Amino acid sequence: MNALKFGPGLIPAFPSPRTSGQAPTEVITQEAGIRTPSGPSLRVNPLVREGDIVGQGAAVACLRDAPQVQFVAPMPGRVARISLHPGRKLSEIVMFHETAGDVVQHKRPDVNTPAGLRNLMQTAGMWPWLRRRPFGGMPSTGESPAAIIVMAMDTRPFAPDPRQALEGREAAFERGLQALSGLCDGPVFVCQTSGTDLCAPGVGGGQVRVVDVTARHPLGSAGFQVHALAPATIETPVWDIHAEDVAALGDLLATGVLPMSRLVRVAGKGLRESRLVRTQPGADLRELTLRAVAPGAHRLMSGSPLDGHEAHWLAPRHRQVTVLPRAPKGKPPHWFVSAITRSGLPRPVIPTAALTQAFGAALPAVALVRALGSGDDETAMKLGALSLLEEDVGLADYVLGGEAHLAGLLRAMLDRVRTELAP
Amino acid sequence: MKGLWDRETVALMLLAAYMPLALFWVWYGGAQTLVGLGTAVLCLAVWNLVFMLARAQPPSFAALITALAIAMLAPEDLGALRMVLGISFGAVMGELVFGGWGRNVVNPATVALSFLGFGFPGFAWPGFDDPVIWAAIPAALIGIATGIMPAAVLAGAILVGGAALALGAPVAAALPAAGIVLVLLVADPVTSATTTVGRWMNGGLYAGLVLVFATGWSGAAPVQMAVAAALLTSLATPLLDEIAITIWVAQRRRRHGRN
Repeated sequence: MNALKFGPGLIPAFPSPRTSGQAPTEVITQEAGIRTPSGPSLRVNPLVREGDIVGQGAAVACLRDAPQVQFVAPMPGRVARISLHPGRKLSEIVMFHETAGDVVQHKRPDVNTPAGLRNLMQTAGMWPWLRRRPFGGMPSTGESPAAIIVMAMDTRPFAPDPRQALEGREAAFERGLQALSGLCDGPVFVCQTSGTDLCAPGVGGGQVRVVDVTARHPLGSAGFQVHALAPATIETPVWDIHAEDVAALGDLLATGVLPMSRLVRVAGKGLRESRLVRTQPGADLRELTLRAVAPGAHRLMSGSPLDGHEAHWLAPRHRQVTVLPRAPKGKPPHWFVSAITRSGLPRPVIPTAALTQAFGAALPAVALVRALGSGDDETAMKLGALSLLEEDVGLADYVLGGEAHLAGLLRAMLDRVRTELAP
Repeated sequence: MKGLWDRETVALMLLAAYMPLALFWVWYGGAQTLVGLGTAVLCLAVWNLVFMLARAQPPSFAALITALAIAMLAPEDLGALRMVLGISFGAVMGELVFGGWGRNVVNPATVALSFLGFGFPGFAWPGFDDPVIWAAIPAALIGIATGIMPAAVLAGAILVGGAALALGAPVAAALPAAGIVLVLLVADPVTSATTTVGRWMNGGLYAGLVLVFATGWSGAAPVQMAVAAALLTSLATPLLDEIAITIWVAQRRRRHGRN
């Protein structure tokens, strides 16, 4: 009956089989792939060679321009393959699980200073878990954000509940928040669904504020919270991070070991049963869906049905795996029909209440869509497009029948603005 | 995985919303209405075909809505040639040259009707039977319930119109035609305002113009006044949206210090 209540946003319904049990199962996949976060492709230096055995949390690659930012092994294992694109841009580092491997413990000499904390986060492999806006991707090493948004809610279809991920880790979460508040001068917002507050008042010297948000998509998407709470501009970047990663930061500070398991929901129409698992970043999607996939061709996607992409490994920051049946290839349409229907893209968008709600009624949606479609970057920036990324407009793209290509238009606009205006 | 709200689905839902109005109009108007409707559909189909072949512009079911609006509101006994002339001007200059339905800035039916009204002033404007007038209400309700018609436009118009009636303005005679034009032309989702504040102003402006014409334009038929008000309103719509967005941006800047 939640669907009948009034309020901004939508509750998109996708079919998926039931989850067996509420408790997550621990799964460490035999293979894992390390990739860089989405955003501009990054040039890296591999720190290991193929065949090396590394412990969990050991650095396997670092950024070429900022060697202190390291990518770490999500499990103890053997480096199977390092593949780089031209220009030493990382494609992926594949690892095989070795049960006998150790776990790297990081030294924490001066984590009470902002510089020390940054250093620890960068060397421990936590830095790529942060994402900055505008433009997306991980922040540069010395960047100071105007605000940090901690997403303790996720309204995407099939998303696991961050509250469940935080169960029993409240102290670590508060420790993580306390640390984050040292990284920026502005506020740290904890966005949660209505219920008990996830952190006690007064954490971070009053810098941490809890915000209750309606549990409808896209309001639980980080972009719309950035837009509502602290708009990102070129001069004032805003970071966002998942609440589970904040708890991981708390654990890292307490023990020196970065926890490498995250709550992941495996769901979708192409499954016989949905699963809730705790697995490592970069987990092998085929192994996560083994013996659960329904017969027939299917698509394995990292991410939600709205903003996911077909992948082999669980993408950085993703906490969902979606399995959809692959539609059989039909007969190609008649050339005349193609000539008529495939021309004039992107198609015009008709303003409806559905479009307004697909943007959470948070901004003049039609004006933004028209500005993106016509390449009017100035208007789009004025309307708050710098706070948004592709995943935030996934719902609008879905609602509009996939003809508007908003994610592509938004990315093109952000790239243009970055080239022209960003320092 | 696809959502529902692409251009053609919205056009078909809009057509479905107008069904009560169309059916009552045909029922009470008889075969004559069907001839007018057929002429309009045929003429628009030809122009859509021309633009499909020449510019690869996909045709839209929205042409049927335009045809319905023109057939219902055009002056009577014009004859086929004048009708075709007016419809061609409205459809081509109002919609098709901008890239088809969804990219137009004014409603092609409004342009066609204004052209017919200005071009051939000697012909009488139509009147409507009571059931047809009442059928505009379910049409608007379906449109609002499915979210394809902007509720704030209708609400703004009703608010201003209701206030004028309550204050005793002599607008009662113009109301039925103004209501039908409001539902058929002004509440078109593409060419009406797109922001909530802009929509309220859009509806209010339309009702205000009808009010001005009803009190000051002697000798004009109710439909003529309503169509003229609809044309002027749709020309002012981008300005209303601009005002609404400027207010929104200013509010955000005040709240956040940036936007």
